[in-house]
Amino acid sequence: MSGGSARSLGKGSAPPGQVPEGLIRVYSMRFCPFAKRTLLVLKAKGIGHEVININLKNKPEWFFKKNPFGLVPVLENSQGQVIYESAITCEYLDEAYPGKKLLPDDPYEKACQKMVFELFSKVLTNKKTTFFGGSSLSMIDYLIWPWFEWLVALELNEYVNHTPNLKIWMEAMMKDPAVSSLFIDPKAFRGFLDLYLQNNLEACDYGL
Amino acid sequence: GSAPPGPVPEGLIRLYSMRFCPYAHRTRLVLQAKGIRHEVININLRNKPEWYFTKHPFGKIPVLENSKCQLIYESVIACEYLDDAYPGRKLYPCDSYERARQKMLLDLFYKVPHLTKECLIASRCGRECADLKLALRQEFCNLEEILGYQNTVFFGGDCISMIDYLFWPWFERLDVYGIADCVNHTPALRLWIAAMKQDPTVCALLIDKNIFLGFLNLYFQNNPDAFDYGLSC
Repeated sequence: MSGGSARSLGKGSAPPGQVPEGLIRVYSMRFCPFAKRTLLVLKAKGIGHEVININLKNKPEWFFKKNPFGLVPVLENSQGQVIYESAITCEYLDEAYPGKKLLPDDPYEKACQKMVFELFSKVLTNKKTTFFGGSSLSMIDYLIWPWFEWLVALELNEYVNHTPNLKIWMEAMMKDPAVSSLFIDPKAFRGFLDLYLQNNLEACDYGL
Repeated sequence: GSAPPGPVPEGLIRLYSMRFCPYAHRTRLVLQAKGIRHEVININLRNKPEWYFTKHPFGKIPVLENSKCQLIYESVIACEYLDDAYPGRKLYPCDSYERARQKMLLDLFYKVPHLTKECLIASRCGRECADLKLALRQEFCNLEEILGYQNTVFFGGDCISMIDYLFWPWFERLDVYGIADCVNHTPALRLWIAAMKQDPTVCALLIDKNIFLGFLNLYFQNNPDAFDYGLSC
């Protein structure tokens, strides 16, 4: 099946065959935000493609031959060329396929998009230190936290499992006295959100 | 306390740099390789001028500034910008797949700058760095494998290209950092280093070993004049 809603392939599965001419294949996972980037670009540019979902909890052995890091997304074309790392796959698709260009032509404008992406990636991956400002919690952590608190309140926080450094940061934040004393009650938050989205004037006072 | 520089003259691009910074070195290599007319303003990283924070929010280098007052930072982004914006020899390949390959290779390199810096600091502070050197050797083994698998002299093929310039600054520093033995078990990497040293662009910017050591001595003594070591005026 070539649709994005196919069951994922796991350990013991047969390796897929060659990619048919005229198509590009993306190894993906339905709930992975990084793979979502590549799917968005494929869709936006109208690129003919097939999707193979990978069971990221039980990866097929053959998948490491596609990407030694064993991560999705990975692109594979009919010439057997393989491209991985979400941002690299997206840029490759924009360059290799005709139609609407998603990255600007102007070198400076293109560089600006990349600079913004770098800043965003630093928020996502936060490789070097536990907290965004260093080894202890500081202003920047409080400034970023509210959006991640929303994830917890909406019970979407398991999606940071893909980015372990971010997950560790969230867990550390939830232990902070200021954060925990002001923590949003998930039920109240959902109640608020429901009313808010209905433009109900009482939304802000939900639960009082 | 220094006066901010004026606007960049038409026809020139300006690089905010520091003579010994490996990241800025990348950008200087690209400027040299493409023959781009440019001016360099070196920043004292231990005593940054206040005006510099209008060029980069955290006062980092390298930063490019053109005559339209456009600013570009992050060394890899700056290098790609120069390759895109200026004519002549292209350092990135034209083929989209080959370009993507070079970007994937860059990902394989990401631990090297941190490890080499930690080795330097450890040895300068008289600390053990056997573990760090082991980790660095492992990274070099990964790069060795790539060269072996490709069977090419350079990381992009048989000719030097962007990815080689992006890697080079850290390899040039192995000797002065005292970690040249980390390539003892990687012959293809040593051949690559030798080939790089033959490249006219690399040669033109090669930093004199004694001047580098002089800089490192002053830097580790927290001397703010470190950055200007070796300048005659």
